[in-house]
Amino acid sequence: MIRTENLTKVYQMGDAEVYALHDVNLDIQDGEFIAIIGPSGSGKSTLLNLIGCLDKPTSGAVFIDGINTGKLNENGLAEIRRRKIGFIFQQFNLVHTLNALENVALPMFFAGVKRETRLKRAEELLAKVGLGDRIYHKPSEMSGGQQQRVAIARALSNDPEVVIGDEPTGNVDTETGNTIMGLLEGLNKEGRTIIVVTHDAEIAARAGRTKRMRDGKVLD
Amino acid sequence: MIDKFLLAYRSIREKRTRSILTVLGIAVGIAAIVSLMSVGYGMEEAITGELMGMADMISVMPGKITGHTYVELGSFTDRDVKDVQRISGIKDITAMTYDAAEVKYRNKRAPVFIIGGDTKELGSFYVEPVGIKEGRWLRENDFKGCVIGHRVANDFFDDIIHVNDKLIINGDKFIVVGVFEKASTLYASDVDPFIFLTLHASKEALQTDEVKYIMVRVYDIDEAEEIAEEIKEVINDNHGLDDFAIAMTMGSMIEQIGTVFNIIRGVLVGIAAIALVVASIGIMNTMLMSVMERTHEIGVMKAIGAKSSDVLSLFLIESSMVSLVGGVVGCVLGAVAAKVISLSAGTALGIEFGAVVKPEVLLGGMAVAMVVGVLSGFYPARKASRMSPVEAVRYE
Ligand SMILES: Nc1ncnc2c1ncn2[C@@H]1O[C@H](COP(=O)(O)OP(=O)(O)OP(=O)(O)O)[C@@H](O)[C@H]1O
Ligand SMILES: [Mg+2]
Repeated sequence: MIRTENLTKVYQMGDAEVYALHDVNLDIQDGEFIAIIGPSGSGKSTLLNLIGCLDKPTSGAVFIDGINTGKLNENGLAEIRRRKIGFIFQQFNLVHTLNALENVALPMFFAGVKRETRLKRAEELLAKVGLGDRIYHKPSEMSGGQQQRVAIARALSNDPEVVIGDEPTGNVDTETGNTIMGLLEGLNKEGRTIIVVTHDAEIAARAGRTKRMRDGKVLD
Repeated sequence: MIDKFLLAYRSIREKRTRSILTVLGIAVGIAAIVSLMSVGYGMEEAITGELMGMADMISVMPGKITGHTYVELGSFTDRDVKDVQRISGIKDITAMTYDAAEVKYRNKRAPVFIIGGDTKELGSFYVEPVGIKEGRWLRENDFKGCVIGHRVANDFFDDIIHVNDKLIINGDKFIVVGVFEKASTLYASDVDPFIFLTLHASKEALQTDEVKYIMVRVYDIDEAEEIAEEIKEVINDNHGLDDFAIAMTMGSMIEQIGTVFNIIRGVLVGIAAIALVVASIGIMNTMLMSVMERTHEIGVMKAIGAKSSDVLSLFLIESSMVSLVGGVVGCVLGAVAAKVISLSAGTALGIEFGAVVKPEVLLGGMAVAMVVGVLSGFYPARKASRMSPVEAVRYE
């Protein structure tokens, strides 16, 4: 279970303080599929980054399975990112020098998984996202949709309970977007918690619950 | 661990252009250090080597040096030569006549200095260090043969003189039996502008019995100063004068040259220091750039669960590999450049010397490449790995 407590992120812009996130209290149950929508600049990415332990809040806290992540040191946070969370970016963010297989295996490399094991599992994951025939392709040799599917496979690499997607369909066409949503729905059926940010009302409608944000706040 | 090496290698290989540029950036810096130092050591060795080869020599002349000019006061007698020969500690002695003569080759006449002496002794002083380029050295019975210095052969007359050409010396016909190589700096003024004759032939041609120059080789260099003093006393006694002869050891000349040499060495150290700074800045720059442009990648790795230390060790391995290759390439380039520089500088300055590539210099170059390369790769990698993943990912 994920819980945020008065989660606040303030950016200092010159003299002005920008509240990217303002006292957000949000509970997300295990196995939930939640979509977050809202206008640009409303703080959606900021919220996901904090939940995903990619950034630190100005005040407030994120609890993951009862652990106050604000109390963890750098390595503790890295461990949460590695074991509990799979993050999918809008820009895919694959490592360009590595092929699909190696990209998917990379989180397992950092988790200290044996080479044969991680390559085998990476291959299975790529097959699962429908890229079994593209495992040796470099990111530059794949379409946006294919790259995003590699990113999804990579997010699953250490078998996380939570998958977070910041506009995972934002850079692909509608049809590919549907495929990706289908994959996420499948992951949800496996019992994983899915949190996605989207601009697309249709996609949001497929989630179990939708939350709307505005001006750094989550509306009821 | 092996996986990390593989990963680092992959990233080097995939970003070939960037890696090559980084390696070159490092290599150029190291090559600058290595080549400058090697050329410097080459010069040092060429000069000291030659000086050491002459260190056992004493030149004895009938005259004195006032300021920078030598004033001849007369000539030595056979008795002088015999008395000097008797001094203990002397290995070789050669007495030479020495005077200007009118020399004619084809249609051109020119005044040239003639040196005459015992062919064996003269040979041991000049033929060994300088070398004969064409023909051979004089024999005892070469009454009408001569050996000429490099400048005599090439510069003094309209045509270049070769073996078997005829020269007219003070009206007598001589045949060139040998031509010297171009002498190195230290011997150039002793060999290049001279014509060498047997003692007998020179006495005839110069119409004199006078000995103008005695050269002595001693067994023990440490005794050279004492022996020189003794030679002076013996000859001065013979002539009943206080300051008739001068006897100069090469050692005393080496000391004078030594001061000049310290200055040269100082300049070299200065150049090396500048090369080091320039190289370091170049290496830092290429390394900083190449790691900084990968801040995004570092962010991605952290976002998918890498610890800062994982990222750091990856980049350390990568920059050590790049620095190592850069260092090796730099050492090779530097050694080659040193040879080329010493060759062309040697030709330009008329000194013959080879670059001396010392293992210490190569090791030092490698050390600089590794230390500067790894440190300047480490610094931006650490900075990037300390950013929050979001910050690093956003960095473009
Ligand atoms: N690094 C930053 N420095 C300064 N301000 C920032 C920074 N990151 C975000 N902000 C500000 O915080 C606010 C929320 O940004 P955020 O990226 O969370 O919005 P978003 O809802 O994800 O928008 P979008 O739909 O365009 O992605 C914005 O006003 C933004 O300008
Ligand atoms: Mg956003």
